[in-house]
Amino acid sequence: MAKFLRVDMSAKQAKFEEVSDKYLTLGGRALTSQLVADEVPAVCDPLGPFNKLVIAPGLLSGTNAPSSGRLSVGGKSPLTGGIKEANAGGITSQKLANLDIKAVIIEGKPADKGFFLLKITPDGVEMLSADDLAGKGTYEVTAICRERYGDKVAVITIGPAGEMLMPSAGVSNNDSDGNSSRYAGRGGLGAVMGSKGLKAIVVDCPKTFDAPVKDPERFKAAAKKFAKILLDHPVCGQGLPSYGTNVLMNIINEAGTLPTRNFKFGRFDKAGEVSGEKLAEVATARGGKATHACHPGCVMRCSNVYPMPDGKVCAPIEYETAWCFGPNLEISDLDVVAKLNYICNDVGLDTIEAGCTLGVLMEAGVIPFGDGQAAIAALEEVAKGTPLGRIIGSGATNAGKVYGVTRVPAVKGQGIPAYDPRSCKGNGVTYATTPMGADHTAGYAVTANILKVGGFVDPTNKDGQVELSRNLQVATAAIDATGLCLFVAFAVLDNPEGLPTIVEMLNAQYGTELTVDDVAALGQNILKVERRFNLDAGFTKADDRLPEFFSTEELPPHNTKFDISDNDLDEVFNF
Amino acid sequence: MRIEVRVFSGLEKFLPNKSFGEPLPVELPEGGTIRDLLLKIGIPKDHVFTILVDGKHRSFDYTVRDGERISLFPPVGGG
Ligand code: SF4
Repeated sequence: MAKFLRVDMSAKQAKFEEVSDKYLTLGGRALTSQLVADEVPAVCDPLGPFNKLVIAPGLLSGTNAPSSGRLSVGGKSPLTGGIKEANAGGITSQKLANLDIKAVIIEGKPADKGFFLLKITPDGVEMLSADDLAGKGTYEVTAICRERYGDKVAVITIGPAGEMLMPSAGVSNNDSDGNSSRYAGRGGLGAVMGSKGLKAIVVDCPKTFDAPVKDPERFKAAAKKFAKILLDHPVCGQGLPSYGTNVLMNIINEAGTLPTRNFKFGRFDKAGEVSGEKLAEVATARGGKATHACHPGCVMRCSNVYPMPDGKVCAPIEYETAWCFGPNLEISDLDVVAKLNYICNDVGLDTIEAGCTLGVLMEAGVIPFGDGQAAIAALEEVAKGTPLGRIIGSGATNAGKVYGVTRVPAVKGQGIPAYDPRSCKGNGVTYATTPMGADHTAGYAVTANILKVGGFVDPTNKDGQVELSRNLQVATAAIDATGLCLFVAFAVLDNPEGLPTIVEMLNAQYGTELTVDDVAALGQNILKVERRFNLDAGFTKADDRLPEFFSTEELPPHNTKFDISDNDLDEVFNF
Repeated sequence: MRIEVRVFSGLEKFLPNKSFGEPLPVELPEGGTIRDLLLKIGIPKDHVFTILVDGKHRSFDYTVRDGERISLFPPVGGG
């Protein structure tokens, strides 16, 4: 019987409860956003007792549907002040689903100081003191938990950044090798977890692919078909497994929309040095891996294992991270990028936000552009909780205010990722309008703008971008509910069999009679719920805008500005 | 006319002694297209998915002009 695990951190009690009908067919982002909208007052303090942290596996997680082990973490964001769903790979989602736990809802706030660990096993739930883990980085916490509770456990944890309630702290969980690098990174949910006094959640479940399925034969056939659809697509079947997501570095650079020197230029002459091709070369030469799966059952395997000169490994280095610490800061040394990435993973900070914030500090002249060692030294301040460290952990918008910087790439307080909105305008629309704050995954228009997947819409022209972003935002919300990795979208956008096969898997698993149209309606509904929350939290149209400099400064080499009108932006959610 | 070609993400295997992103100067007669260019440098057309000319998406039939920067990619994606 599907259940919720409700954890009251005021009373330090946890109990299972039945899932009411309303939530039975929801999962992942659909479930976290609905629960947050239903149970969290929109005007509450994100770090106060009324906010909740909701952790939910996707609808298909824990089955043998390929690449379906994505985890959604939701709550009210301390960074944006709006609703947040942050999505992570790693092995936790499959374990929760195999325990038939639809969501873990963490609420309340302890009156006293101190940290706790929640242990979830097939036998029940235990709340243990975690004072011995407090102050430790996520890698060490994960290693200690795997030693104590077995090397197969999943560990959700926060680093010192989350304990210190920094607004851009993330929530980590581990891959099969125990790397605490799979982050529900964006929007500061690590601080929400920290505010609840929860240092870690250990999930122990011996099964990976045995979540309840109503019609196993039908499901198996659909899952097999879906795996073939993924493997037959050139991006999902060949591109991602060869170089990982960082294969994007060169094409975004050549397309002239790689944000360089805090969004000053669209090309970086040394982009190749931090690209996926280079990464694969170095990783392989040092005995690492150019491809790797973030959870068992992923067929696209976009992850990698990068051995660093100090003997540690950074796994993976994603494109967005390589960008934010590379071209964004005019740094061209992959070892420096790896080190900055590792520090973020360990201290528990969202990499994109940290990179955007370092860009703002460089813009302010606090540290010089291109100075990798200075960037490392600055990021190391975070764990120490010094004033500079806290400024870095507070995100780009806050850092901009502290240092009087007006060129701050952020929307709704969240840093803009690795595609400049002036020459990849579809993504600009998504950054401006998604309820999440600037988020590339929320409506990844790079597909049609640059990669020629799902059609082609000229990235430098404003025509067609609103519609493109709208359709992608709806589809993405639905995919985020399924627990499928968003990268399945490359195949689903190009193959008309893709979406019906996802629907077939859902119907076989849940005994439902969903149609393709219902899936679009689900996506729309998720967005409506999220928008409503933000409205109630005080957001207005003015929050659906890009920073001013994108419409006043031209981006070379195409010399573009962001020129999509306010009226057009307000049309994105016209459904 | 002379153009500058860069190949990425595995296409470099067709160009001996070139690594990804390394500029390759190519002489092409006036009126030459991307198709002609691929024939000349020996990259099979069906391996090329995205063609960027000075950062703009172009087709195989695009007529190349002197001094252009041409970047060739197989299917790639990420995010
Ligand atoms: S494609 Fe990459 S991010 Fe997605 S599930 Fe597979 S390894 Fe994880």
